This record gives sequence, C-alpha cells and structure tokens, in this order.
Amino acid sequence: MEAARKIIHIDMDAFFAAVEQRDFPQYRNKPLIVGGLPGSRGVVSTCSYEARQYGIHSAMPSTTAHRLCPHAIFVKPRFEAYREASNSIRKIFADYTDLFEPLSLDEAYLDVSQCNRCKGSATLIAKDIKEKIKQQTGLTASAGVSYNKFLAKIASDLDKPDGLYLITPDNGPGFIETLPIGKFHGIGKATEKRMHDLGIFTGADLKTMPLASLQDYFGKAGLHYYHICRGIDNRPVNHQRITKSIGVEVTFQEDLDNRETLLIQLQNLLNKALGKAKEKKLAAYTLTIKIKYSDFVQITRSRTLSKAITENLNALPLLDDLLKTAPTERRKVRLLGVALSSLASPSCNRQIDLFEQFQ
Amino acid sequence: MKYIINREQLLVPLQQIVSVIEKRQTMPILSNVLMVFRENTLVMTGTDLEVQIVTEIAIENTTFAEITLPARKFLDICRLLPTGADIKLEVADDKVKVLSGRSRFILSTLPAENYPEFSETELDHRFTINAGLFKKALEKTVFCMASQDVRYYLNGLLLNISNSRIKLVASDGHRLSVFEDNLANPAGYEARIILPRKGVMELVRLLDDPQIQLAIEFSSNNIRVTINNTIFSAKLVDAKYPDFNRVFHQDFLTPIHIQRQLLKDALTRVAILSNEKYKGVTFDLSSDSLKISAHNPEHEEAEEEIVTDYVGEPLSIAFNVQYVLDAISNIDSEISELTIASNSSCCIIDEPETRSYRFIVMPMRL
Repeated sequence: MEAARKIIHIDMDAFFAAVEQRDFPQYRNKPLIVGGLPGSRGVVSTCSYEARQYGIHSAMPSTTAHRLCPHAIFVKPRFEAYREASNSIRKIFADYTDLFEPLSLDEAYLDVSQCNRCKGSATLIAKDIKEKIKQQTGLTASAGVSYNKFLAKIASDLDKPDGLYLITPDNGPGFIETLPIGKFHGIGKATEKRMHDLGIFTGADLKTMPLASLQDYFGKAGLHYYHICRGIDNRPVNHQRITKSIGVEVTFQEDLDNRETLLIQLQNLLNKALGKAKEKKLAAYTLTIKIKYSDFVQITRSRTLSKAITENLNALPLLDDLLKTAPTERRKVRLLGVALSSLASPSCNRQIDLFEQFQ
Repeated sequence: MKYIINREQLLVPLQQIVSVIEKRQTMPILSNVLMVFRENTLVMTGTDLEVQIVTEIAIENTTFAEITLPARKFLDICRLLPTGADIKLEVADDKVKVLSGRSRFILSTLPAENYPEFSETELDHRFTINAGLFKKALEKTVFCMASQDVRYYLNGLLLNISNSRIKLVASDGHRLSVFEDNLANPAGYEARIILPRKGVMELVRLLDDPQIQLAIEFSSNNIRVTINNTIFSAKLVDAKYPDFNRVFHQDFLTPIHIQRQLLKDALTRVAILSNEKYKGVTFDLSSDSLKISAHNPEHEEAEEEIVTDYVGEPLSIAFNVQYVLDAISNIDSEISELTIASNSSCCIIDEPETRSYRFIVMPMRL
C-alpha cells in the first residue's frame, strides 16, 4: 500500500484585519472591518475577531455590519500590504517544500510528504511554519494537518485562531461521519439545502447514499461527494495553479439603466481584465459578461471566439452583441462583471494574422 | 376564407424562409412567416430584421388576406405530408386550420399588421450577373469569412464593383480568398460594400439555377438580389474593409506545382498527428522535394515527401493544415500552384493558369 500523503492547509487568521491591526495599533482589540464602507454598497471583506462577536462575517453587506456594531471601525482594503505579507508567507513555505498551492493571498496547501525537516513529522513542520510566520510577519495562522486536501482544510478551521489540528488516517473516517454536511468544503448553501431535502445531514448520512443516486442528484460532483465522505481525496497539491478565468466586476453606487453607460462600464471592465491577462501572459478566447439586476437576479452571457481577445481589438461590437441578448429594458442593473476564460499561453498559438502582419 | 396550395409549391420557398428565421427571437412574430394572399398569388416573407426573403408563388383565384403562421411548425407539417398533397388553409380569427387528406392541424397566428417592415434606403446602384458565375464567386470565397470575430467587418464578404470588374474578398485574418471576373454588362461605377455573413450563407442557398440572370441592387446600407420570384434583402455591414493588397505586393519565390489530389491526400494523412488544437504542419522545401511533417503533444510524428519542381534555397514554413486543405479543395484544376513569399510571410495557392481566384494562407511561427 502506498504511504499516506502529508498535507498541511495553512489559513491566516482574519488576514486583512490582522494586517491592519498590526500596522495601526489604534485598531488593536477593537471591532475592525476591512471592506466597503457603511452606506456604500460594499461588503465585509474580512473582520477582526472582536467584530465577529457581534455576528459580523465576511461577505455581509457593510451596512448590515454597521447596524450590528455601530462602533466598529471600517477601513478600505490595502491590497499592497496584504500582497507583501502574502509573499513573505509563501517564501516560508518554499523553505519546506516546492509543492505548495496558494489558494488566495491568505491560504495555501502544502504537500510535505517528501520533507525531511522536523524528522518528517507533518505536525512539527506545521508548528514550525506557524512560528516562522509569527516571527517574520507578526501575524498568526491556523494549520490543518491530514492525509489529503479535503481533511487538511477542514482541520485548519477547527482550532482557529492560531490553531493546529491533526486528522490522522485512523480517525479521519470517524471524524467525517459526525461532520455536518454544511461543513464539507465545496458544499455551499444551495447544495446543503438539497442534501437536507434528501435526508442527508452528516457525513454518515452521505455515506449511505449509493454512487449512482449521488451522480443522479449532483452530476459530476456526485463522485467527489461519494469519495470525500469516505475520506478519499486524491487531488494533488498543484504548485503551478492553472488560472482558469480572469474576472472583474463592479457594483454601482446607484443602479444603472442607461444602455450606453452599461456598455462603457463593460468596456472598462474588459480593459481591466485584459490588463490582468496580459500580466499573467495569457490569451483569452471566451468572453463572459455578468449582469446582476436590482432584484438580485443574475444572468451571464458568453461567447467564444476563434481568435484571442486582446487590447488591440475593438471589442465594443462584441460587448454590444452580448448585451443585446440580455434584457436591459425597464430593468435596473446593480452589478456588472466581465470574465475572460478559455485561457492559453499565447506562445502556443503561433498563427500569424494577415491584417496584423501587413498593416 | 379558404386557400388550397400544393405541397410541392410551398415546400422549397418555406424552407428558404425558415432558414432565415432565427431559432431564438426577441419579437415573437419574427418566428412566423407572413403570408399575403392576393389575386392569383401568395407572397411569403421571413426575416430576422438583418436578412429578409420574400418569395411569390402562383395559386388560383384567391381573395385578399394577410396572416402569419409559426414558420417552423408549418414547414414541418408540410414536409411530413405525402408528396403531391394539397394543403388547405382555413383562416378563422386567431387560428388557422391546416387540412390535408385526413390530417388536421390548428395553428395559432399573430396579427399580420404587426409584422415588422424591413427598412431599406433607396437602392441607387445596380448590376446584373449570371447566377452560376455569382454562385461560383461566392463558393470560392465564403469559406474564408470569419465568424464571430471582434473585427466584425471580417464576419462578412467584400463585394467590389469596378465598372466591368467584380471582385469578392473574404478573410478571417488567417487566410484570405479573392475572386475576380468580368461583368458581361459594365456597371459604370466603382463601389465597395460588405455583405453580412448570415446573408451570404443564405444567398448561396438561393442560387440553385445557374442559368438565370440576377439583378443586384444596393445602397450603402442595403443589398437586394432578385432571383426569379424570390427577393433576398440584407442590411450591409457598416465598416471599411481593411486593406489586404499589400500581401500581394512583395517578393515571391518561384512557384511550386503539385498534383492537387496528391497534395491533398498527403496533407490529410499528416494532419492525423498534428496538434489537435492548432493543427500545425511544417513544409520543408528543398530542390525537387517538399517534406510535410507534423507532431503532437504525445510525441507522435508523421512525415510525407512529395517530388516538386521547386528550385531555390531550402526553406521551412509551417501552416494550419486545415487552411491549406480548404484552399486546395477549392482548386478546380488538376495541378495546384503554391507561391511562397521570399520572406516566408505568406503562401498563395491557386491554379497555374486561370487567375479568377486566389487563396492566401498565413503561416504559423515555427
């Protein structure tokens, strides 16, 4: 039998808020909210543990957060500072293994199966990493240690903040059985409700479902659910995380209903997305627009082109076309988004274009 | 009111009309065919507001009526009735009964007065051309048109009239096709218009009789082609077609002549092991020989060698094999002529003698 892998999931504690409290002592020990300001349409990006006591959590509208805790301090995010801290953390990871997969600025998986430091003990490595993070950035992290990504991620959440939790191959399956279905990573609110409707409330309930019915109810994800409730998750830790899509969106201060304005906004968003694609040296072939109306109904429209979408192309007719297929008459728009996908490295497609070559 | 029409009269015009009608409509009435009964004629119209087909068929003594019917459903009913069947339409209020033999259908209708007008500006240019020649011109070019390119003018066909010359050009940027010929009746003016892709595809389908003369009229916004009892109209693409002539004004190597079928077969075989997405094949030219090779990400390889009349320095150039095959397949002569630019910037593929059409294929970086 193959030896079990050793996977660590590192999750920074209230990352954005912690960076703010580190850099500005006046915020320390106070309910602090990083994100949109109250009165705006922004949402809470991260909040300090002091703020969480009031029931505030991320993705909550800032206005609601303000109502829950009127004396909370609201600040706008400073991404430069977070990126810098994030880079320091990634450098620490690299000391232990090449196999680490950042999920976002404040979260990463590490595969330390081949790491010989700390006598090869994953728990000691996780402890070591947490200490180094504390020393070098002044921030705390929580670590989950287990034999696959799914369990490592769940483990990191169990002892927060500044926690360390181990789920061994022996106690993994038993642990999953008692886990409420909503705690499974990848099962969101909608799926949780469908599972409840099917009488599935815990990992043990999920385990009683035959594979075929899970696939019937949940399609492709069915197989994944079938595996994870048995503690099986063979997804590797990818160091080179492949960017699948690049998206930008904007929520307007006031709902828009003018078609021309919508088009200009889409053009701006597309330019931003193209800028990001260029930074990552990727060419995109699919363009998707997202519209959220004032009643929160959301639609997307997309088109795939034979040629890469670049800044040189006049994308206005394309955006106009996509917008035409979305109802905009007598409907107010709250949010617009643009996403680029079907990404490829431009060097793969070496086809020369006649009009670019001869003009 | 009752009307009797023979299935065979109805079927082809109805198919042409349904082809124009978009499956998903912004206005429900656009899914319908407009049917106007006049004395001895039935005029049927279908449109998506960008392209319109109006066709007239002869029927016996009728009273005036205007109705609209769900086009696709009506076509399917007619199509599946027996050959030669008489189809009786009975119009009553907001329903139309379709009766034939022992079959009976009731279709819903929408008021004909709500059927949208196809807006056209005054058609101030006109020329005539043989339908067979025009169809050939379209067939030699349409396959190079772009589809859904953000350079929207490439999702169309350039029609250039220069007194007695007609020129059609299509390109998706990766390849380009030019067709040129003389007009039997000089037009007496110079004009350049861009026909939209969808309109061009529909027009090709309408040109099934090569003998007839077409009357083509256009303005800067619209084109109208009269084909016997059918009138095809389309809105033009409002743009300037990019200049492509510089591709011809450069130094070229001596042309290579290859048996068309031989080259086609070799390319088709090599294509099997080219990269599925990018379809690249490499041409290695040396005196007397052309080596065509491909490899894919699985490290499989294909190679074909063809004897040619090439004289000159050895040269390597790569192409999307599909583009070369499309061009070769559209050559009518037995021998194909390949002319590569001396800086390897493009390749012209055409017939050795008649020069009514030429295809350009742009290379891929090696």
